Amino acid sequence: MQNQDGQPAEPETETISSLPTSEVNDWANYRDDEVMQQHSAIQAEEAGKIPFVGDKEPLSSLAEEYKSGNPILLEKIKVLTEQYAAIRRTRGDGNCFFRSFMFAYLEHILESQDRAEIDRITVNVEQCRKTLLSLGYAEFTFEDFFSLFLEQLESVLSGKEACISHEELVQRSRDQSVSDYVVMFFRFITSGEIRKRLEFYEPFIQGLSNTSVEQFCKSSVEPMGEESDHVHITALSDALGVPIRIVYLDRSHDDKGSVSVNHHDFTPAAHEVTDANTGGAVALEPFITLLYRPGHYDILYPK
Amino acid sequence: MVDFGRVKKELQECNKDFDVSGIKVGPKGDTNLSHLLGTITGPVGTPYEGGTFKIDITLPDGYPFEPPKMRFATKVWHPNISSQSGAICLDILKDQWSPALTLKTTLLSVQALLSAPEPDDSQDAVVAQQYLKDYQTFIGTTHYWTNAFARTNAFARTYCVEEKGQKLVEMGFSEALVRSALESVGGDENLALEKLCSN
Repeated sequence: MQNQDGQPAEPETETISSLPTSEVNDWANYRDDEVMQQHSAIQAEEAGKIPFVGDKEPLSSLAEEYKSGNPILLEKIKVLTEQYAAIRRTRGDGNCFFRSFMFAYLEHILESQDRAEIDRITVNVEQCRKTLLSLGYAEFTFEDFFSLFLEQLESVLSGKEACISHEELVQRSRDQSVSDYVVMFFRFITSGEIRKRLEFYEPFIQGLSNTSVEQFCKSSVEPMGEESDHVHITALSDALGVPIRIVYLDRSHDDKGSVSVNHHDFTPAAHEVTDANTGGAVALEPFITLLYRPGHYDILYPK
Repeated sequence: MVDFGRVKKELQECNKDFDVSGIKVGPKGDTNLSHLLGTITGPVGTPYEGGTFKIDITLPDGYPFEPPKMRFATKVWHPNISSQSGAICLDILKDQWSPALTLKTTLLSVQALLSAPEPDDSQDAVVAQQYLKDYQTFIGTTHYWTNAFARTNAFARTYCVEEKGQKLVEMGFSEALVRSALESVGGDENLALEKLCSN
C-alpha cells in the first residue's frame, strides 16, 4: 500500500475530468439562437471599441496606422495628405458605406444650410417611396425608416425650430435607434432602385455574385450588415441624385512603380448639367468623399 | 422594445387574404403581441398537402431589426425542420433577415421550404438522410406525419390510424402501441408489425 501515512488518495475524478472532451461534438449542441446571441455579444464588444461614427482625426492618424506597413500604402497616404485634411472612421460592421454616407450628407447640409438641396432630395425620396410601392413592398415595412430620415433632414436645417448642433449630429449618428434606421432607409432606397432598373444592373450583379437581381437585393442589399459594392453605391447615388467620390487606398501601382491614388466619381445621371459652351455634359463636383480600403469605407475631408 | 405599432399593421395585412395565401397570424394567448401563433397550410402537390401547421412565433426586443424566432408547434417531418423541437433551418430567420421582410413574407418562405427541402443544409440529420437515401420512405413518413399531426380534423387523424392499424389492433396489440409503432416507422404497416413483434 502506498498510502501508509494515511493521506487520502488523489481523487480519481480529476484524471477523468482532464480527459479530452469531445469539443467537436459539442458544437452540434449549439442552437441557432445561441449562435446568434454569441454573434451579437461579439458585435457589442466590437462596438465598445469603435463607435458607429468616430471623431474627426487628422490624416496623420492614417499614416500612423501603417507606420511599419506596406511602402506603397505609405506613399499613397503621403499623396492623400496633399489633398485631404482629415478622416472620420466608421465601424466596420458591414454598414460602413451607408453609415459614412449618412453622416457625410447630413453634415454637409448642416454646414451648408442648403435648403434647395433638401427640397431636391425630398422629391427623390418621394419618388423612391412610389418605386417601392410599385414593386409590391408593404408600406408599413418602410414608412418608419422614411419618416425618420426626413426628420433628420429637417433637424439639420435651421428653420422654424433651432437646428441641432454638430455635436448633436454626431451623437445621433452613434445612437443605434437613429443610425440603424437611417442605414436601413438607404438599404430600401438602394434595393428599390436596383429592382426598378433591373436590366441595367443585371450584368453587374451577375458579374459579382451570379444570382438573380431579386436574390441579390434580398441577400446582399436588404439585410443589415451586408457589405456594399459599386452596385450599391451606383444605385444609392442615382436614386437620391447625390454624387459620391470614392478614393481608393490599396496596394495597386503601375509597372514603373510610381504611385498615384485613384478615385472614382459616382455621378447620378440626373445630376449632370449641360456645359453652356461645349454643349457636353459636365459632372458636378461631389461633396461627399469616402475613403475605400478593401472591405471598408471611412469619410474623407478635403483641404 | 418591439415595434408594436408595426406588428399590429402586420397582423392586419397578413390576415386579410388567408383564403389565398393559407397563412394567418394572431396573438398566442392574451393580448401580448410579442408572442404570436402563425398558421400555414401544407402546399398542394407535396406530402404536406392537407395539413395545417402551427408555428410558434416570438418577437425579440429588436424586432424588426432582429428576426422573429419561429418554431413549428405542429410535429412535421422535413429535412430542414427538427422532428423533435420544431426548430427551423432557414437563412432569413438568421443572418439573411431584413426589416424589409414581414411575418407574412417569412411564413410564406417557411411554406415554400415545405415545397423545396434543402437536405444538404439540414436541421434534422435523420430526416435528411432518409430524404437522400430512401426518398420513397421519406414521402411515406411525411404523409403519415402530416395525417397524424397536422390534420385539423380529429376524425381524419383517427381514421388514418384506424385504417392502417386496424389489422394490428385485431392481432391483439394495444391501440397506443400500434400508434407509436406506426409513427416510428413512418406509417408502414409491415414495418410496424415487425417492430411490435421485436419488442
